[in-house]
Amino acid sequence: MGRLKAIGRRSFLIGSAGVLGGVAFGTFMAVRPHDNPLTADLAEGEVVFNAFVKLTADGITLIVPHADIGQGVQSAQAALIAEEFDIEVDQATLSFGDPDPAYYNTAFADEGVPFMSFDESTVAETMRGVAGGVIKMIGLQGTGGSTSMSDQYEKLRLAGAVARETIKAAASLRTGVPVADLRTANASVILPNGETIAYVDLAAESSQISPATDIALRDPSEWRHIGKPMMRTDTVAKATGTQTFGIDLDLDGMVYASVRTNPRKGGAMISFDTKNAENMRGVQAIVPVTNGIAAIADNTWRAIQAVNEVVCEWGPAPYPAETAAHWDEVAASFVDDRLDQEWRVDGDVDAALAGENKITIENRAPYVAHQPLEPLNAIVRISDGLVEVWTGHQLPRFLQQQVAAVVGVDADSVQFYNQFSGGSFGHRLEFEYIKQATQIAMAMPGTPVKMTYSREEDFLQDYPRQLAMSRAQGIVENGQVTALSLDIAAPSVLASGGQRAGIVTPGPDAQIVAGAWNMPYDIPSLRVRGYRVPELAPISSWRSVGASHAGFLAENTLDELIRAAGADPMEERLRLVNHPVHRTVLETLAEMSNWGGDLGPNRGRGLALVESFGVPTAEVIEISMTDYGIKLDKVYVVADVGQVIDPVNFENQVQGGVVWGLGHAINSEITYSDGVAEQTNYHAAEGMRIFQTPEIVVRGLENATKIRGIGEPPVPPAAPALASAIFDLTGERPREMPFFKSFDFV
Amino acid sequence: MKRILTVICVMSVAGAAFAEGENVNIAPPAEASVSRADGLGAWTRIYDVTSHPRCSNCHVGANNIPMWSGPSYGNARPHGMNINAGDSRIGAEYTQCSTCHAFREDVNDVPHAAPQVAMNWQLAPVEAEWFGKTSDEICNQLRDPERNGGRDFNDIASHLDHDLILHWAWNPGEGREPAPYSLQEHVNDILAWGVAGYPCANDE
Amino acid sequence: MQLLVNGEERTVDVEDDMPLLWVLRDELGLKGTKYGCGIAQCGACTVHMDGVAVRSCQVAAATADGAEVVTIEGLGSPDALHAVQDAWIAHQVAQCGYCQSGQIMQAASLLETNPEPTDDDIDIVMGGNLCRCGTYPRIRAAVKTAAAKLQEA
Repeated sequence: MGRLKAIGRRSFLIGSAGVLGGVAFGTFMAVRPHDNPLTADLAEGEVVFNAFVKLTADGITLIVPHADIGQGVQSAQAALIAEEFDIEVDQATLSFGDPDPAYYNTAFADEGVPFMSFDESTVAETMRGVAGGVIKMIGLQGTGGSTSMSDQYEKLRLAGAVARETIKAAASLRTGVPVADLRTANASVILPNGETIAYVDLAAESSQISPATDIALRDPSEWRHIGKPMMRTDTVAKATGTQTFGIDLDLDGMVYASVRTNPRKGGAMISFDTKNAENMRGVQAIVPVTNGIAAIADNTWRAIQAVNEVVCEWGPAPYPAETAAHWDEVAASFVDDRLDQEWRVDGDVDAALAGENKITIENRAPYVAHQPLEPLNAIVRISDGLVEVWTGHQLPRFLQQQVAAVVGVDADSVQFYNQFSGGSFGHRLEFEYIKQATQIAMAMPGTPVKMTYSREEDFLQDYPRQLAMSRAQGIVENGQVTALSLDIAAPSVLASGGQRAGIVTPGPDAQIVAGAWNMPYDIPSLRVRGYRVPELAPISSWRSVGASHAGFLAENTLDELIRAAGADPMEERLRLVNHPVHRTVLETLAEMSNWGGDLGPNRGRGLALVESFGVPTAEVIEISMTDYGIKLDKVYVVADVGQVIDPVNFENQVQGGVVWGLGHAINSEITYSDGVAEQTNYHAAEGMRIFQTPEIVVRGLENATKIRGIGEPPVPPAAPALASAIFDLTGERPREMPFFKSFDFV
Repeated sequence: MKRILTVICVMSVAGAAFAEGENVNIAPPAEASVSRADGLGAWTRIYDVTSHPRCSNCHVGANNIPMWSGPSYGNARPHGMNINAGDSRIGAEYTQCSTCHAFREDVNDVPHAAPQVAMNWQLAPVEAEWFGKTSDEICNQLRDPERNGGRDFNDIASHLDHDLILHWAWNPGEGREPAPYSLQEHVNDILAWGVAGYPCANDE
Repeated sequence: MQLLVNGEERTVDVEDDMPLLWVLRDELGLKGTKYGCGIAQCGACTVHMDGVAVRSCQVAAATADGAEVVTIEGLGSPDALHAVQDAWIAHQVAQCGYCQSGQIMQAASLLETNPEPTDDDIDIVMGGNLCRCGTYPRIRAAVKTAAAKLQEA
């Protein structure tokens, strides 16, 4: 444990060169749990400085290992390296790299530990260090949980700095000019006389010397990229139809496939009849896969048409067939033997609630599908013991293991080429579609098979966000909220997803109460308990994961208490808020939104603050009543991420997160009838469209001490802020998403 | 605006180019052979058709916004996606109806897809506003040549025969409830109602 | 059947009812046009056919026979951007980018019909194009920038 503490962030910030070197080379030298994946195929005269920078006479390659699922992380990662490496991002080739334990993501550790995000006590940091150390040792390479920036912020800048200083040392050896007199810019070393030597011309010499270790990161005042508007590297391609997504790849000799599996997810296929399908034009084969059937044809449409013509008899669902039974199970879970964890106890809650005038509140959040616009697809080719997989995925190493298990080979025999994804929102954490593509490819040895889901199959097989329910009791006195007991029951998304990934997840699941247990309020008597509902339908991480339900349940409950107290939602939260960073978020938002100003007739305003993934995010929503229902006018958002990397992409991500949170809160859910999802395409789970989208004003603050990601934190406050506004407008409190069941919207 | 007008002209010409639909037999009853009571009975069934979502959703008023209503839609609401067909009633000013409601000669077999026929999708003229209107309101409109395109009952029957978008109402494809009765029965009712003298319940 | 795609005569031998979307993607290799829903709910497959924006997933190949089709690749290229593409880049609209070909084709069609769209016009015409990432605020801004640029030209 001592060593894990030693490389923790605190020690690092103190900043001795030795510690810095330890972090920079932690992967390969000081700690060295994993070999550098870039050294394997290195030729004479080529050099890698660490797992992220490779230099040859032909050019510079930056490895940006986090998957790009639309959040722009490829650009942001490259900018972090370029900042210290003194190159422009367009001077390098960017690669997602191979799956490798060297690309572990320790920032995942922050989500699982029972400490407030701003708790930097020795115990909290040690626990994070232990969890991070385990992740490092098993090499958990993953994208998710808004961790990319917190994971990479220092790692990648150091990678760039090490590369820069090593090249300078090589230049010094060649020219005799002391390193201290050399400068770097534009991918070149600059001599005192103004002459330049391109990095690529120093590749061979750099490979002959030991990487530099004595490096200090630059002061933020010297930054050229970080914090300033950037141009994402994929912008032009995505505006011209030239960005290749996984679904667009063509390989020589490739065949096309589509599958249908039991729409009662996980249920068996009892029988199938292919006679209507097998003679259709272009159909090459019909092959069974686990719990279903695949058609292989000479184009995608023919494969989808054919697989839809196969007559299948499906077995029963391994979960209750009707949604009402799921809710019954959730409602029955507020009992002692399903208590997962008592996460927070401030004051004497039972005593406070013993009196009269208790307010009892129940809220619900439904199952919701992910449904990124690119349907799930994968290309697999199996030849001579080598398995190659092309798809966009957030967990490359697990993918290798899953595919290897299907084929019966070692994980090392699985070569994975990560692709740009047309969205994910957690959908590309799953493996079923890749395992199906693998099974199809096993039937076609040597032939690359592209498997594409129809949109309907994608909906039917989507493992949705968990459903959840809260039961709360509260006391308000003298215009203040004085007591709150909040119980949340939900199935464990960690267990459901972990089981499919082959991971055992012992202990309580923080996601049941994420965004609720850590509410940044000093309510004199406050208790938050998580109850674990036994697994019902399979569920999966959905943008902002636990906070997507628990943030809504907690803030909608608190808002109801505040309004019951007759207090102002902003003033009462400001009175209760217990941390200066969060207080500043609220104060900034109040000023920005002119909170308390007159809105005019038929209008309402609401507020919510949720901290998720360490980012306090607060939103004010203004709405109006129209002839066609409620119209969303304007949203103000303030979030504190410690450091905004790219203000342009930051704003885009926040706006997108708000749209995601609002759209699904209004009109999206997954319900089951006869074990089958009743929503099969976007007509029934629309999310938000442009005409429903309010103006969204964004401000990023940088007061927090840790840098955090922004992909998810804007989602959780959106639904409760809207519920708060609807109450303000109509006097009726939404208690269940989606809200369109009770209110009309434009 | 020039472009819009050009498009409208093209569209109205294209409207003539429909494919063969269901065959309708137009055989009006003999003159004076239908009593007023039977005519009113026929009208009641005609109203069942004209007020049915398959018909009334596109017989909307001057806001030019088609509706989504009926058994599979929950509460009646404006057509999703913020659709507005414009004064052209074919969407020329905004998104053309034909952007999604493509030309199709075979049946609508894809659930939840945009309905398609072998002519250009469009709203009925604004004078023929049916959505949310009472039986009497629709009855008076349908017998008024000023508001029905100058048609008598034979012309209306012929219109039902030729306008394939109307045939679709009885054959809307998977997931949509067809209009009541059959196209032939509806034509027969129109003919009977006309022979009976276009009675409306509010005539007394 | 014969199509004129981005100014080139193309001949394909496909079923009458194969959607134009799949003719473009899998027969002609034009991958910029995307499959999203297959039922005209998302707009990712939007192309121009005889000058009108259409959802190519809804257009049967037989209907497209003889038609003039323009896809995102024909609208402009990285070296020769259409004004709408230029505006999309200036505003950095895309996140995942999967819907953007369709958004851009719909927006280009909007500006053909209505060179000075109001906010309401944009919200009506772009209402059928779904963006799961939620880039709508930027789409609105980019359409206006493109409109202004086309007015100058």
